[in-house]
Amino acid sequence: MGLPNVSEDLSSEMEVDAFRRLFPLRYFERHLAESIRPDGRPLGKARETSIFLGAVASANGSALVKIGSTTILTAIKMEVMTPSLESPDEGCLAIDFHMPPICSPIVRPGRPAEASPVVSKQLSDTISSSKMIDLKELSLVSGKAAWMAYLDIYCLDADGALFDAALLSAVASLSHLQIPVVAMNDDGKIVLVSEEDGQKREQEPVNKEKRKLTLRSIPFSLTCILHKNYILADPTAEEESIMETHVTVVLDTSGQLISLYKPGGPVLAYTSAIQDCAALTRQRVKELKSFLDKANSAMEVE
Amino acid sequence: MAGKGGSTPATYSPSPTTDKKKPSLFNEDLARPDGRSFHQCRPAFFRTGAVNAASGSAYAEVGNTKVIVSVFGPRESKKAMMYSDIGRLNCNVSFTTFATPIRGQGSDHKEYSSMLHKALEGAIILETFPKTTVDVFALVLESSGSDLPVVISCASLALADAGIMMYDLVASVSVSCFNKNLVIDPVLEEENGQDGSLMITCMPSRYEITQLTVTGEWSTPKINEGMQLCLDACAKLAKIMRSCLKEAVSDSQE
Repeated sequence: MGLPNVSEDLSSEMEVDAFRRLFPLRYFERHLAESIRPDGRPLGKARETSIFLGAVASANGSALVKIGSTTILTAIKMEVMTPSLESPDEGCLAIDFHMPPICSPIVRPGRPAEASPVVSKQLSDTISSSKMIDLKELSLVSGKAAWMAYLDIYCLDADGALFDAALLSAVASLSHLQIPVVAMNDDGKIVLVSEEDGQKREQEPVNKEKRKLTLRSIPFSLTCILHKNYILADPTAEEESIMETHVTVVLDTSGQLISLYKPGGPVLAYTSAIQDCAALTRQRVKELKSFLDKANSAMEVE
Repeated sequence: MAGKGGSTPATYSPSPTTDKKKPSLFNEDLARPDGRSFHQCRPAFFRTGAVNAASGSAYAEVGNTKVIVSVFGPRESKKAMMYSDIGRLNCNVSFTTFATPIRGQGSDHKEYSSMLHKALEGAIILETFPKTTVDVFALVLESSGSDLPVVISCASLALADAGIMMYDLVASVSVSCFNKNLVIDPVLEEENGQDGSLMITCMPSRYEITQLTVTGEWSTPKINEGMQLCLDACAKLAKIMRSCLKEAVSDSQE
């Protein structure tokens, strides 16, 4: 009795794999007709999400974010710069998204991946549009010294929806950021003030204590795939490669639209489809906000 | 907003106030900066399967040095490459910009890719995948001393995770020389102040060395002592790596 079942099960499993590989679009459409995805998710559900703050000990702020298998590591290094003449009271954010070759079979060492500068630009625009950070908070001495925050975002595992995970990681690391205490020495250079030196009070600290940035309205995003009459939230890399129409909606915590990004694709984005995507995103924003709050409160306990 | 446009302005990292003139690395009790004895390694942690998108991958933490390695392949070689009866190995080591205390310093280790390649080549059975290429990509997330030995050990675990046939796991440890003292598995401070260093990459079960690197001035007895120290440490490290692989297998079976 056992043998026929074993061979039958094995051959049917191989057939499913072959069908998936040879006819990926039909494979997915067979699932969509049943309102389910190959990994078992309903159409509008995002993958499991986790946030870990303080992943890089040597950075001033850092966060590791996983959405499904997609893994993004962000670290912030604070350096001192001379502010520009146009804005002497403001610091700067420099956001860079990196896709090292470890994260995907497509990426090769040497030339940067095509997706990297696109995501970098999206992130910069989103964070500046949302006005989450007041750049005046990064000022130290007017016209002479200000903070430059380098946000380096590394994709460690690319399995779809990279922008969503990258934005969440950037936001989480900014919420974790601790600005160090510094003072201006005789040469006019900014130097770190350690706790021991603080007692001597040789130099007056420019900022009194380690402090956190004030995050005003926090943006969160959700990427959806439009395919015929279906809307799939939070796609995997396989889904992204098979179906071509992606829409990314970014909302902030007050429900305001920060950005809408639709890079081509054959499916037309009617008003109703955009509204559905926005509704899914609104629901996702609440989820992500609670995740971020939990991660921050966990950090405060430590 | 204007500050973001144009070229990035020159920035510098604020340094500590007191200019301590190279404090002695070892205090009166001859203890190391992190309290270890001279011949004691930092705790090592390994995990396979860190990157889903890769054929094989591994994550390693040794002290504060954190490394992640992905293996892709065997896959088709680039067309520009000549025909080869045996497989090819391609290695690349890179640092994150935040890996070092000063941002962006990691790009100075251009020779690491070649050294990783030489270290692994002797251990992989290249005849098992003719005409194809195995790519090994390593990313150093945090650099805290002895980076290359950690990369090499982690890479051999990633190759095992990918199912590439090897003669043995490859373990690597380095030792630093201070006058007459040998210090194993140095941290960043020790590496910066060392007189010489010695790194061994070996296959512990076969007791064969795939790579030996010596810098600085060493006497022959000192080299022998250093080699013995490293070989003993590699054997212990290989045990940790093997148990990691066994755990991964038992986990997947459950």
